[in-house]
Amino acid sequence: MTSVAHDHPHPKMSHADVTRDVVRTLETPSRGYYLALFSAVGMFLVGVATFVMLLKDGLGLAGYAPPVFWSVYITTFVFWVGIGHAGTLISAILFLFRSPWRTAVYRSTEAMTVFAVMTAGLFPIIHIGRQWIFYWLLPYPNQRFLWPNFKSPLIWDVFAISTYLTVSTTFLCVGLIPDIAAVRDKVTGWRRKLYGALSLGWTGADSQWRNYTRGYLYLAALATPLVLSVHSVVSWDFAMSIVPGWHGTIFAPYFVAGAIYSGIGMVLTLVIPLRKVLKIEHMITEYHFDNLAKLTLLTGSILFYAYAMEYFVAWYSSNIFEQTTFWRRAFGPQWWAGWSMIICNAFVSQLLWFKKIRTNLTALFIISIFINVGMWFERYVIIASSLSNDFLPYAWGQLNPTWADWGILIGSFGWFGMYFLLFARTFPVVAIQEIKEMIPMPRRKGGAH
Amino acid sequence: MSDHTTRDPIDRRRFLTVMGVSSAGAAALGGCSTGKVEKLIPYLVQDPDQVPGLPTTYASTCTECPAGCGLHVVTREARAIKLEGNPEHPINAGSICARGQAGLQGLYNPGRLKFPMARHGSGHREILWNEAIDRLAAELRTAGNRVAVISGAGPGTFDTLLESWVTALGGRLVRYQALDHEPLRLASRSVFGQDEIPVHDFAAAQFVLSFGADFLETWHTPIENQRGFAAARGFERGTVAKSVYVGPRANLTGINADQWLAPTPGSEVSLALGMANALLARGRAPVDAGALSVVLAPYTVAKVAEDTGLSAEAITKLIDEFAAAAPSLAVAGGIGAQHRGAIDLCAAVHVLNYVAGNVGTTVKFGAGVKGGDGYGALAALERSMAAGEIDVLLVHEANPLFTVPRAGGFKAAWDRVRFKASTSLFFDETAAGSDLLIPNLHPLERWDDAGGGRNHLAGLIQPVMEPVYRNVATGDVLLQVARKLGGLLAQQFAVPSYQVHLQNRWAELARARGADPAAFWREALQRGGVFGPAPAATVRLAGNITIGGPTQIDGDGEVVFAPYPSSMYYDGRGANRPWLLENPDPVTKMTWQSWVEVNPETAKRWDVRDGEIVRLTSTTGSIEAPIFIYGGIRPDVVAMPLGLGHSEYGEYAKGRGANALDLLSAQDGQGFLPYLSTKVRVEKTGGFKKLARTDGNPRELGRGITESIPASLAARGLTLKQAYEELGKGHHEINTERELEAITGFREAQVEARKFGDYAAEHPMWGMVIDLSRCTGCSACVTACYAENNIPFVGEADVLRGREMSWMRIERYFEGGEDGEPFKASIIPMLCQHCDNAPCEPVCPVYAAYHTTDGLNGQVYNRCVGTRYCANNCPYKVRYYNWYAYAKLAFPEPLNLQLNPEVTVRARGVMEKCTFCIQRIRGAQHRARLEDRPLRDGDVTTACAQACPSGAIAFGNMNDPAAKVVQAAQNPRGYHVLEEINVRPAVTYLARVVPGAEA
Repeated sequence: MTSVAHDHPHPKMSHADVTRDVVRTLETPSRGYYLALFSAVGMFLVGVATFVMLLKDGLGLAGYAPPVFWSVYITTFVFWVGIGHAGTLISAILFLFRSPWRTAVYRSTEAMTVFAVMTAGLFPIIHIGRQWIFYWLLPYPNQRFLWPNFKSPLIWDVFAISTYLTVSTTFLCVGLIPDIAAVRDKVTGWRRKLYGALSLGWTGADSQWRNYTRGYLYLAALATPLVLSVHSVVSWDFAMSIVPGWHGTIFAPYFVAGAIYSGIGMVLTLVIPLRKVLKIEHMITEYHFDNLAKLTLLTGSILFYAYAMEYFVAWYSSNIFEQTTFWRRAFGPQWWAGWSMIICNAFVSQLLWFKKIRTNLTALFIISIFINVGMWFERYVIIASSLSNDFLPYAWGQLNPTWADWGILIGSFGWFGMYFLLFARTFPVVAIQEIKEMIPMPRRKGGAH
Repeated sequence: MSDHTTRDPIDRRRFLTVMGVSSAGAAALGGCSTGKVEKLIPYLVQDPDQVPGLPTTYASTCTECPAGCGLHVVTREARAIKLEGNPEHPINAGSICARGQAGLQGLYNPGRLKFPMARHGSGHREILWNEAIDRLAAELRTAGNRVAVISGAGPGTFDTLLESWVTALGGRLVRYQALDHEPLRLASRSVFGQDEIPVHDFAAAQFVLSFGADFLETWHTPIENQRGFAAARGFERGTVAKSVYVGPRANLTGINADQWLAPTPGSEVSLALGMANALLARGRAPVDAGALSVVLAPYTVAKVAEDTGLSAEAITKLIDEFAAAAPSLAVAGGIGAQHRGAIDLCAAVHVLNYVAGNVGTTVKFGAGVKGGDGYGALAALERSMAAGEIDVLLVHEANPLFTVPRAGGFKAAWDRVRFKASTSLFFDETAAGSDLLIPNLHPLERWDDAGGGRNHLAGLIQPVMEPVYRNVATGDVLLQVARKLGGLLAQQFAVPSYQVHLQNRWAELARARGADPAAFWREALQRGGVFGPAPAATVRLAGNITIGGPTQIDGDGEVVFAPYPSSMYYDGRGANRPWLLENPDPVTKMTWQSWVEVNPETAKRWDVRDGEIVRLTSTTGSIEAPIFIYGGIRPDVVAMPLGLGHSEYGEYAKGRGANALDLLSAQDGQGFLPYLSTKVRVEKTGGFKKLARTDGNPRELGRGITESIPASLAARGLTLKQAYEELGKGHHEINTERELEAITGFREAQVEARKFGDYAAEHPMWGMVIDLSRCTGCSACVTACYAENNIPFVGEADVLRGREMSWMRIERYFEGGEDGEPFKASIIPMLCQHCDNAPCEPVCPVYAAYHTTDGLNGQVYNRCVGTRYCANNCPYKVRYYNWYAYAKLAFPEPLNLQLNPEVTVRARGVMEKCTFCIQRIRGAQHRARLEDRPLRDGDVTTACAQACPSGAIAFGNMNDPAAKVVQAAQNPRGYHVLEEINVRPAVTYLARVVPGAEA
């Protein structure tokens, strides 16, 4: 930690400034905030209404068109799981690697992670045909001695997602303790009680700090493999099957890179407006965005390579099923989806070679939207387009999504946005204590590690 | 006829049963073994034949078309649940077509009339049966002899009763079947002086040549034809009969043929005469055929080529091949090719058969098949009606207001009749236009007989259950009306009921044969009728045969309009049966809609795409329907199926599609309705309708799904791989050496690995073999599967999303048909392959998909949570998902009564698929165990195999070396679809054998 002091980004702030500025973000919100919150809740209610209809009439309301048995819901599921990856990467892996630039953004990305995984976690329930018995997917003791099938990648998924949700939630909550304590000391009324409870009696004593930093480190170490494993497991939902376009050994790294790419895309989408709204531009600066953009460029380039390899392997394998799938991905009835994915992810990310673009927040914001759209389409293409043309041409079919697909998609954004907005007004979105650590004086000994 | 045994020792239930029956005496229902059936009684007093949980089977006869196939009606707890073929019946020999099976949906149709009705203002109101009979009697009394009856009932006791009834009234009877084979009968009269439609032996033929006869769909007796055709083509004899279809559009018969020739519409007669001429010249003809030389001489190959537009080489080749085959068989007279010259064409084909020596071998006279009185007789009646000569008209088993083209004057003539009565079970167009509706009972609810018009066959029809609605059989209505009318009529028809009348007639038949009437009746009832040997009449050429040349098609349009009978809807009567609406047309794979078939070349010229709605206009009318681009049609022809476009006929039929008959003039063509007789103009409407076709992609894309092998190579016992090598053609790669190495022993290891617990013991291993040489794609198996397994229909909207639940589907792939490539099609039934190494099983998170001990891919509906992963991972895409509560939507009252109680009705949100009819397997196993014997080969068959008219499907235990299915699977023609993905399917396909040396 000490080695990075020479390029730390907050030279002109005192500890008191940091606390004050961050606590200010929790004060009475603006009308814009309420507008955003209400629209998020509105979108969420659209999703709820759609889900009620699905429960009432059946999944037939969505556009499923066999052989496309999975479509928008699983697409959106993978999309949200992917979003959830940036958070842990930034907070845990970069923490272990001592990257200084993570400090300003990690809290918001971690919150994003938890909410994204919470969102994703709804989809396996929404998408199954008999939602009311979703718990059959869980291994619970029952008098029939029926267990889930541990060979099924869907069961691996259940474990991966629930583990990830548990660990990332714990990580977020633990990371919040000192900050909540700092806020607790600045506020009054019910908030003081709430924060008092959540800060778990934090006093800032040296012994507490020693245990805390140890604990945080261990949690970071625990969370780190999950960044790689969760999306690998999700990718095996596809890779373990025999569907042409799914059945690829490249899938795990390809999905992990895609997940981080999409996660950072979402971070950019959220943080660029957020820092403005919360007036913390001086804490989250160009420096941070430049680094985020570099990570985007790296993962985007991995995706570029993965896309190219998928096509190459399809051609090189001489496997007519693979070849047809990839041919149709680019030139079939859903060519627009295939090209959306390639352009938004592989090509647009290449713009980030230029520092001018990396440090231009407007450009970054626009690119981040492309990334979000592109990554959603990537999953759509992998899922819906691969399924639509597999082995027997007679059984081919084209997906045509309906309002029920879009209703749930909108609802998922509402659900996610609602939590994120509530979080941003309730908890410090910038990690007070870590920023304070970056500030040279008065400097706490960093020798704990 | 009960199919369970009653050898069990007496237990409590049986004791009570016997006591109950003894005390109830003769009132009990004796199955079909007693004639004293007045009422079916509930289980309050249980009959020994009626054991809850065990099916009771009654023999009966199908009346869904005039063919007269024998039925076995399976009933459970006194309701019919399935129609199966009667194995003893000479026409269908145990199989049954899709239409026949859908008779059940006629019985339980929600659109059935529940009571008699009388016209009331602009609608109809319910009346009582005695009112209805009084009303009809009163009308007849005032009408005197100004009475007419239009009847679609085939020859049999009812027909003779009706005839004598009408005669007694002094009225007229017109026997009318919309899809009758009048031209064929008239041609028989002119060529052989024989007033009948011949019977054909397809099995014996070495060459089958059809001039527009859709003998696999609606022509004559489709099941009998198909069985014969499959025998001729099934390669059992080590040879395969070549088949050629001549017609403007390749129908199912056409795509099953090895060659499709499309001469100029109307010119087919020239080809037939030219062939006869060439055969005559080769001196193969019977001696008296010389007289024909005058008629035939002008038809040289050059003239034929000029008339038909076919190349001289093609004609010569056809002649050579036809001449080389003995016996051969040429058939003509299909509705879809019935133009004004149809009699000439049928006559020419009679001559061709005669010259080739087929008459008496493959073309047999003597059965006395007459068909109805023909469209000519109906047209004559129409003139009388229009002239105001008819006061009372009774329509029975016919729907002339739908099947007679609207352009003619039939409706106007109809309106001039003072009082019309209809016996239709449904509110069809004719019923809607009638003043009195006296709905008949369904054939499964009443007594009757039918023999497909053949003198030597008499099939009985018996009630298998209490009527769904308390209506009165028309036979009884006739008798009651006669009694009401009193006088001589009452004396003549004094018999108390139609059933007694029928039994009296059969008693006469018995006495004529010197049999005891009671025993004769009982045996006939058990067996489904009396089936004598087919009589043979020797026929000679009539003198002065004249046969006209090619015919012109009327109209001023750009293209010839070819309406053709649908193999599902027949003359339109199938249009209210969801099983038929959702069973895809075997050629186009279209469901629920009407469509217009257009050649790709023509479509390109017009710049139209699939689904684009066009307006067809003839001189008599205009209709709109979406385009279906089809390679199997001449560029100057557009075709459309008949049977849809109903303005009434219940919720499923009403307002669905367009009626192709609207474009035809109703003009009688010498005693028949010429269907192929008009040209039409085609214009775009700008509208678009997504086609409800079930083929996602109609091309096979070189994936080796349907395989064929030349007969010469198959005869040498070559496998497909060897045949490909021999032909020097690259077989699509199954597996590379390294892949094979990698998977060696994999399956064996898997099988070993799962040998614990219940799996360790010896078990059967169920397997299936499907012979593509025999399969014609008729789709009887599809409906059989729906019926057996309670498969719901999903309706047009969900078919558009590809959600049809057809566990058994017939995949049809096209080849060529564009850019000068010859058009071909291939067919393969696709069902769950019950893979040994099934991809669906490991991915199920809750073990709903699992492998049973006897090698089936089990699917536990109750355990399924509906992740649909199994369906994604199924390479054959034979898993079907309940997107909605289809079972609730598809079985409205009283259709729910058809549900098979042996099979779970699946809930919303679960996956389902072919089970190899596991309920039949377990049933047979239980029976074997009760009888303390091992399960024998043939104890179990699946519903699809049982229904198949071609005998293309074999099913059995692959672990039983003596099983037929094992022998069939060892056929060198055997292959697995998608063998390269190593899923080890339990279904083996036998490659189709094509005549000649080229695949």
